[in-house]
Amino acid sequence: MGIISGLDKFFNPGSIALVGASDKPGKLSGKILESLRSSGFKGKIYPVNPAYRSVGGQECYPAIGDIKEDVDLAVVAVPAAAAVEALRQTGGKTHAAVIISGGFSEMGNDGARLEKELKDIVRLQGIRVIGPNCMGIYDSFSRLDTFFISDDRVGRPGPGSLSIISQSGSFALTAMDELAAEDVGIARVISYGNRADVNESDCLEFLADDDHTGAVAIYMESVEDGRRFVDAASRCSSKKPVIAVKVGKLGAGISAARSHTGAIAGRYEIYRAAFKKAGIIELEGYEDFIGGCKAFGMQRSAAGNRIMIITDGGGIGVGLADACASMGLDAAPLGKHLKEDMLGSFPGYVVVGNPFDLTGSVTNEMFADVLEKTMEGDYYDMAIVAPMWGPPQLTDELVDIIAKKSGVIKKPILICTPGGDYTRKRMGLFHKAGLPAFQTPESTVRAAAALSKGVRKGTRPFKAGIHG
Amino acid sequence: MDKKEIEKIVKEALSLGRNMLIEPEAVEVLRLNHIPVPDLRVVKDVASAIEASMKIGFPVVLKAVSEDLPHKSEAGGVAVGIKDGKELESRWAQMILDIAFRNPAATIEGFIVEKMAPKGIEVIVGCVRDEQFGPVVMFGAGGIAAELVKDVSFRLAPVDRAEAFDMMGETKCFPLLTGYRGDTVKDLNAVADVIVRLSEILEESEGLREIEINPLLVYDKGVLAVDARAALK
Repeated sequence: MGIISGLDKFFNPGSIALVGASDKPGKLSGKILESLRSSGFKGKIYPVNPAYRSVGGQECYPAIGDIKEDVDLAVVAVPAAAAVEALRQTGGKTHAAVIISGGFSEMGNDGARLEKELKDIVRLQGIRVIGPNCMGIYDSFSRLDTFFISDDRVGRPGPGSLSIISQSGSFALTAMDELAAEDVGIARVISYGNRADVNESDCLEFLADDDHTGAVAIYMESVEDGRRFVDAASRCSSKKPVIAVKVGKLGAGISAARSHTGAIAGRYEIYRAAFKKAGIIELEGYEDFIGGCKAFGMQRSAAGNRIMIITDGGGIGVGLADACASMGLDAAPLGKHLKEDMLGSFPGYVVVGNPFDLTGSVTNEMFADVLEKTMEGDYYDMAIVAPMWGPPQLTDELVDIIAKKSGVIKKPILICTPGGDYTRKRMGLFHKAGLPAFQTPESTVRAAAALSKGVRKGTRPFKAGIHG
Repeated sequence: MDKKEIEKIVKEALSLGRNMLIEPEAVEVLRLNHIPVPDLRVVKDVASAIEASMKIGFPVVLKAVSEDLPHKSEAGGVAVGIKDGKELESRWAQMILDIAFRNPAATIEGFIVEKMAPKGIEVIVGCVRDEQFGPVVMFGAGGIAAELVKDVSFRLAPVDRAEAFDMMGETKCFPLLTGYRGDTVKDLNAVADVIVRLSEILEESEGLREIEINPLLVYDKGVLAVDARAALK
């Protein structure tokens, strides 16, 4: 289908029909009703269930087609066969459905037949479908939340500019939980499951033009239409950073290859080739995905790869510099002019350079001073601030001081703060202040490296058309 | 690119029930794409091999042409650095014995005689068709150990010159092309041209499934595709 903005109805529905709604606790659809209400969804909710006259004190309808008004979105959480039936009986009242239900093509031949039936029904009626076998949508702006896990088990992030697309529902859920715990804001999360209709390319098309979305993170197992995906991702990445992690890296790329090229080209190599073509920043595995989400969710892309390291711990500074070198970041020494200026401004025990080591006599203000002096002007593109919390003159106010500087400097700042209980609490303060904080030099630098790849130079539009 | 001529070669091979192009055909596909290839003749007997060699000029390379010998070096099907007619006769006889011993069932369709190419930096350039993403192009360290070393870079095809340069820059062997340890700088533009052109062939020719140059010899000025293979769908 590929209609641009064809997914609008999914994200800002004025009304929802909840198919399978009931008052029975523990039911999947009951959890969704709870999610919708507790998340503060403002629109109208119509319970649909032929078994009940009323649910939650509200009138309950036997089928979507029995609702008097049109409904922007149907959320379907009943067993597979019943879900197909429910979509058959919409009576033209809705044109968008999130089908949470499993039991479709992921369950073998019988399920695949049902999914085929479902596809035919929705195509005939012009209904766009997310799912089946998915978690659906979490939207921090319209407060739409179809995830059927209560928020005391899995946290929900507050509003932000990062959007996540995930084939896997459990991955989307876990990422949301982690990001909520670290105060990273989210715009939209889409878990699209079996992609009977809406696939990763549709999501990218939508998010490319979505004003709420400033960066996109993709968790990908496979792709439905490779060329269309590259096309959609290219368009999206020309407007905002797109990061991705690909799982399922094993496996031969070209079957029965007869050339060295074919033998070397594994599935993963081909995905990487596609990501590069599409301007997607590729991340390795779960930890980097969360790190990348934090970095792009809280900071902006860096204009280049020149990085300043500011610390009060010499060892960590050197570790950061090593990690930068291995990740292609340039921790360049201070220029002559800047160095002279710094030597004149700081006491003799401070190690002026990059890394800049403020030593154990550090104060909050010294961190702020170095940050300001090195980041103004065109010396560096971003900074890593690495406070070790031992020195007695460092206080919690450091967090706010750096956060304020961050607002003025307008270049990305990442915090690296390894340590135990005391330090980890400080990490939380940084997150609350909107600064991405990391526990190890390596994870900090990997996130910084991702930020440095966020700006595409010399964008070359990819034309899927050539392929036919 | 002469699309019609390439289609003709592919169709003819398919009509003969082959799933590979034989080397002279694969080389011809490259030539039609303006990729530099050696001056070669296909011959059936030793007398015409000598005659062809004299025209081309010694030293020459002798190669067996057979779709049954995908790895013709291992099969004894390649003889390099042949200096004169006498040596050609003896190497020819040896080659036939070697092939008969190692691959008795192989059908030999003829022999290639080509000008012995001067030593150059060996790289590999290939393009294969992926079911999901379509043609994918590869550049990397070439030669017999290409699969072992796996020092390669992939891109979705087709690529432009800037992407071709990015691909080269991503490999560890790149410094060999840019004046390693006092060596001269190689013709990077010519390599980029080959990557770009090879990346376009599969887009243009539906019948081709894989095409590969290994090695592509890279010189101070120019490149030469001294071995080529192509698989059909």
